[in-house]
Amino acid sequence: MSKHQALDTFGRSGNPIIRSSAFQETTTSGERMSLEGAVNKTGILLFLTVLSAAISWNFQSPLMSLVSMLGIFTGAIAAISTFGFYFFFVGWIINPRPHLAPKTGPIYAIGMGFMIGIISQQAEAMFPGIVIQAVSLTFFVAASLLFAYKTGIIRPTQNFVLMIFAATLGIFLTYFFSFMFSLFTGSSFSIFTDTGWMGIGISLFVVAIAALNLVLDFDIIEQADEQGAPKYMEWFGAMALVATLIWLYIEILRLLMKLRR
Amino acid sequence: MNTFIAVIGILSALLFFYLLKFKASNKQTNRMNRPKWSKYIPYKDEEKKAKSEDADFPDK
Repeated sequence: MSKHQALDTFGRSGNPIIRSSAFQETTTSGERMSLEGAVNKTGILLFLTVLSAAISWNFQSPLMSLVSMLGIFTGAIAAISTFGFYFFFVGWIINPRPHLAPKTGPIYAIGMGFMIGIISQQAEAMFPGIVIQAVSLTFFVAASLLFAYKTGIIRPTQNFVLMIFAATLGIFLTYFFSFMFSLFTGSSFSIFTDTGWMGIGISLFVVAIAALNLVLDFDIIEQADEQGAPKYMEWFGAMALVATLIWLYIEILRLLMKLRR
Repeated sequence: MNTFIAVIGILSALLFFYLLKFKASNKQTNRMNRPKWSKYIPYKDEEKKAKSEDADFPDK
């Protein structure tokens, strides 16, 4: 018995409407993504992040530092291969490949968890109690923005996306150049380490941009669910959400450290 | 102080996962100026590529 009974009965259609892409989009029968699935995957990825963060926090050693460096490296590769790499005026240097997310998502979460563990442990040693504050603030900001998004208080538009995208790219390029600068001179850009009002203001701006990136992640998940996107988009949405939460956490931690100095 | 902050954090995390399960309001979804994510994230193209290739027919 054929799996494709319609082909047996009617033959292959030459009708351009039936063969059009619009028709294909509504007749695809693979597994569809759901909001529930995206929530579960977000939970899994956050659990993996916390687990590896706990390991690197508790077992500090030269070997763990090496494992953490490897974790950051593999996490970065996993993120770039899934989200792609875009540059101003050039376009996509590496195209986004969301179908890789079921494999790259856990790798990213574990890798970044190792980094977070080390950063958090060092911050906690300098300022006791700061990690609980940063984690709580991160979830508070995320929950508030999610409420604002779900109720329609914040409504992302095309211009909003372009603005946030440009600001995010600008921030990452500045970080990248600061990192390169520090490799050659041994010191980073003073605007990032400055604990005065200028430094705090810049940190606040970066926290705001990281937080607004969450709104874009919520919209990606919501829209993919509405359009009946394939199952792997659950992992993609979860990975995007976890990546933004990690970024937001690090920026809030940095801001709190500046405020405590 | 930190206990209070931790409680706020736990409640926020629970609220976050609870809200994530619900669909957004009509005010959010039924509007013309929404960004079109499928233009940037090629999940439909990937699927179309896979679907457009002729399937093998293992019926014989």
